[in-house]
Amino acid sequence: MRISVPVTMLAAGFPVDHFLIMLLYAFLVSSFFAMLWASDRPSRTRLFTKIFGALVLGGLAVAWLMYPFPS
Amino acid sequence: MTSEASVETADSRTWIGVTLAWIFPGLGHFYLGRRRRAIFYAVIVTATFLFGLVFEGRLDWPEPGAPLTYLATFASLGSGLLSILARLLIENPRGGVLSVTYEYGCTFLRTAGLMNLLLMLDVYDITRGRKS
Repeated sequence: MRISVPVTMLAAGFPVDHFLIMLLYAFLVSSFFAMLWASDRPSRTRLFTKIFGALVLGGLAVAWLMYPFPS
Repeated sequence: MTSEASVETADSRTWIGVTLAWIFPGLGHFYLGRRRRAIFYAVIVTATFLFGLVFEGRLDWPEPGAPLTYLATFASLGSGLLSILARLLIENPRGGVLSVTYEYGCTFLRTAGLMNLLLMLDVYDITRGRKS
């Protein structure tokens, strides 16, 4: 017996916002690496901020650089 | 205990830990007594995987003539039991290629697998004394 994925973003009526999905991805990845690579709370917070900032700002920078290219 | 016996114990502890880490995210750390970390890893990796399914991502499978699918499959299967169960149970493991969130879903699913592969290496390092 197979089940269908119970909820998809569109079916559930969530707004499909590219920026929100990028924030969610950056949050999950930076939380993971902060816990994996840092040993105490202050260094974890610093590392989380750095990775999260790099992912979000890097994403925005790449998007800005790609803006002149036609789709 | 002789040194040979203690090496054998360390070896079995390592491989049990690494195997458990592959089966479910955080299980290897739980086995090593790092319970809080284990719960954190389980939540983060499982959430990433489930978001991948919700975003209608594809559970990769090798395709002849497409070498990158082998790497993607390796990454995707890193999620262990989550990946295997999803392949067996969900209606469309190939995802919704027409969905606007399809590429995001694929990225989330592969990232969850790669995170779990890193957790396996972390368990290996801990049991070998390379990491506290």
